[in-house]
Amino acid sequence: MIRYFLVYWGYPSGISMEIQLTINGEQRTVAVEKSESLLDVLRRLGYTGTNKSCDTGSCGMCRVLVDGEPRESCVTPAVQADGFEVETIEGLGTQDDLHPVQAAYVENSAMQCGFCTPGMVMTSVALLRENPDPTEEEVREALDDVLCRCTGYKKNVEAVLDAAERMQGKTLASDGGSKPVDPNTEDL
Amino acid sequence: MSQKPVSTTETDESSPETDTEEAAATEPEFDIVSNDNPKADAKKFVTGDVKYTADFEYDFQNIAAGKILRSEIAHGYVKDIDTSAAEEMDGVYAVLTPWSEEIPDKRYTSAGQSYMEPSPYDMKALREKVRYVGDPIAAVAAKDEQTADRAIRQIDVEYEELEPLLDFKRAMDEDAPQLFDPDEVENKQPGHDYEHNLETHLEGEIGDVESALEEAEERDDATVIENEYFAQYQSHVLPEPHTTIVYRNEDNRYHVISSTQVPNHVRRMLAQLYEVPIGDIRVTKPALGCGFGGKQTLLLEPVVWALHEATEMPVKIEVSRREEFQAMRFRREASVDLKAAVTDDGEILATDFQTVANSGAYGPHGLTVTSSIGTKPLPMYPHTPNIRFVCDAVHTNKPVPGAQRGYGNPQGSWALESHITDLALAADMDPLEFRKRHHVREGDENKVLGITAGESSSQIIQSCGLEEAIERGREAIGYDDVEQPEDPNKHRAIGVALTRQGSGVAGDELSAAQLKMNEDGTFILQTGAVDIGSGADSAMAKIAAESLGVTPDDIVVESSDTDTTPHDYGTYASSTTYISGNAVKNTAEDIKERIKYWARKMLETPKGNLELKDGKVVNTGTGESVTLEEIGYESIYGEDEREHIMGQGHFSTDISPTPYGVQFVDVTVDDQTGEFEINKLLQAMDVGTAIDPGMAEGQIEGSQMMALEYATQELLTFDEDGNPDVQGYRDYGHPRATDMPEMETILVEPHDPTGPFGAKSVGEVPVNPLPPALGNAIRRAVGVRITDLPITAEKIKAKLDE
Repeated sequence: MIRYFLVYWGYPSGISMEIQLTINGEQRTVAVEKSESLLDVLRRLGYTGTNKSCDTGSCGMCRVLVDGEPRESCVTPAVQADGFEVETIEGLGTQDDLHPVQAAYVENSAMQCGFCTPGMVMTSVALLRENPDPTEEEVREALDDVLCRCTGYKKNVEAVLDAAERMQGKTLASDGGSKPVDPNTEDL
Repeated sequence: MSQKPVSTTETDESSPETDTEEAAATEPEFDIVSNDNPKADAKKFVTGDVKYTADFEYDFQNIAAGKILRSEIAHGYVKDIDTSAAEEMDGVYAVLTPWSEEIPDKRYTSAGQSYMEPSPYDMKALREKVRYVGDPIAAVAAKDEQTADRAIRQIDVEYEELEPLLDFKRAMDEDAPQLFDPDEVENKQPGHDYEHNLETHLEGEIGDVESALEEAEERDDATVIENEYFAQYQSHVLPEPHTTIVYRNEDNRYHVISSTQVPNHVRRMLAQLYEVPIGDIRVTKPALGCGFGGKQTLLLEPVVWALHEATEMPVKIEVSRREEFQAMRFRREASVDLKAAVTDDGEILATDFQTVANSGAYGPHGLTVTSSIGTKPLPMYPHTPNIRFVCDAVHTNKPVPGAQRGYGNPQGSWALESHITDLALAADMDPLEFRKRHHVREGDENKVLGITAGESSSQIIQSCGLEEAIERGREAIGYDDVEQPEDPNKHRAIGVALTRQGSGVAGDELSAAQLKMNEDGTFILQTGAVDIGSGADSAMAKIAAESLGVTPDDIVVESSDTDTTPHDYGTYASSTTYISGNAVKNTAEDIKERIKYWARKMLETPKGNLELKDGKVVNTGTGESVTLEEIGYESIYGEDEREHIMGQGHFSTDISPTPYGVQFVDVTVDDQTGEFEINKLLQAMDVGTAIDPGMAEGQIEGSQMMALEYATQELLTFDEDGNPDVQGYRDYGHPRATDMPEMETILVEPHDPTGPFGAKSVGEVPVNPLPPALGNAIRRAVGVRITDLPITAEKIKAKLDE
């Protein structure tokens, strides 16, 4: 994955500015410090589904989608997301109405502690939008940037392949748009 | 291992219940457990609704961020600390040093074990004498993490450096620096000799090993093999960094929100350390981003507590990834000197197993892990007439080892299971056939379990599915039909290793639970069980649901809150499914009595067999039934009599049933370069009844990944001054999705008569056997024996070139 957003603490702290973020389809004006990461901003805004594990962009657990692309939010300065559409795990389905990728993770027992799960799921969603019918090898390649300590990846890979089947036949957002695929495809 | 008196024994065998599933004990049929249904609480994990400790930070309007200043030298004294620059910084609320009044002048152990801990009291919350690079010296609370981080960099420390001791194999040498003054340690453990850096020494013997080995040396028809094995440090690599919040609630009581595996031990240890009543402390454990033993510890809590006392504000510390890799807890490095004799017809005459393990800077879990290096793997072969086990735990100036999944067993299994294959090959036998001849079986009285504690610790093996596991695994991997690659330099072979573990600490566990029935026939289960990411909440819901004839959705699980959930020692030693699960099962049996009382009353049938099924109580004789909802409303709002239907139960035992398993590793090795490729990993595991099969498979698959890392990567290395080389994930050999070979998992589910619905455990046992099975595959493929982990192409090539 290209990490052209990756900038380490390039600004001094304490300098505040306003940015425009579209988070899960909702437009927000947010005051951020220049040194703040997108992850820290998301978390203090209440999007705590995304977790911090390394804070150096090396584990992928904090991945969110920025204009449809998976990004390590811990090393993405919030100011660089100004004007972009951000999708977090909270923007997929709800517990009463899971997105097919979420449903596939649940039914394949593809999580244990769940700490990497948001990063895994968002990466899986991005993959299936680009490649609705991936091979196992392609799934492994896509998940390669997200570390998981619990599962050995087997069930995660199976979950993504299962999700691809669940979503077959549906039109996917190929333009990297902010709307997730229709959660009701689960029924297909 | 524990000096505690053994608590009362309760098993399902004594259950008077006859009108339930017990009747079908031979071929149990379950509605919920052992069925393929998802983790009961899985949805909160995939939606981000789950809350980990760090997520509670946002519940506070004003919470201070804490940071810890850690030693930059491996051994020495802090002579002076200048905190003035940090204190003067804007937004810094408190700076603590070892001499601050908030830091108790008291030693404790960080090991989260039952009282009185079998670990020496050898550390303070902040330390004037530093014993490894990473030892905590000072702490800061500030308005945010960045300010706290800048503040600790402003603290100036003057050290008096001492010679560090880094090589654990020379720790007991006469010229090695002495690391502890014996007066600095309380609650010392058996065999200690601090003048020689010895934390503990233990030994035990069955038969007469020395004579048996001497005789074997003389015999023409016997072979004696001796090897020294080595296993390196490993990190737990917990995705969720250790995190703790301490504040005082509206009742002026301390509330500790912490990423811990042992909430009740943390509460007791804090109460003792800070001399406050246990009732003034509430410890809650939110969702945990992995434990693996790394959070079976009192680690950040004392420092966060002290910062809270100094600031009178809520304080949170969340350690950095670098601290996780350098200053939390680890699997200890160890060497095993193993000498064993085998006759030409495959009889094992004697096994002499001597281990030295590196306890690093402090002694938590030193006695129990180091002794487990032998006492966990050796009982696999209990018929060997002469077995000796000797262990030493020694101190060095390296990071602090603690508990880690396997608890000594991976180090010991690496040695023993490598050696067993070499014994088999010396006797010209197939290594799997050799193991089949010698391994433990159901009905055996296993005396090796008590080798260090006297014969009273022997245990009759009540379930063992090894035979089935071996046969199913052998078939699935194609053990007897290995095709060689066309390339004449490449050689393919399948290596094998057996493994066993326990289910809880024999004679040193307690779990309790409570069930409350709601009006509509749903339940609230309060359990002390600590879900550390492995799905314990789900498993407890399923056990309760199976018992009560309802679905897991009908059970609300409230767990790991020392105010509201009954006592439980916590999650370690593969205890939860077995110990906490039995407590929940007993609790369900208890509440069933009250439910049946009301059912009899409402059905007006004083006699007859009642069964709970599908949310109803059915009279199996007449077919009449009453729903739990009808009972719930009647019992709470009835006219003549009222009762809130509740049940209580607990479980403790002096046994620890054994899960067993077999690992197969299919490998191809290049005899020119030493490079090897793993074609397939397979584990067939006897876990007893798998309460949650998907989660059990996940434990096995994740364990194989953790073990593959251990088998093949250097992991934690240090320079000549004791500075750690690993700064983050990128420096550590954590496998990624594309690194994992094909894996197959076979669950073998013999019904253990003492387990909840026949369950034993699965959390640790699968992490042990992969390294020796890989080493054994390489031995069979190209004829070389690697004795030092990790197994690398360079080491194989060097041996091939010998």
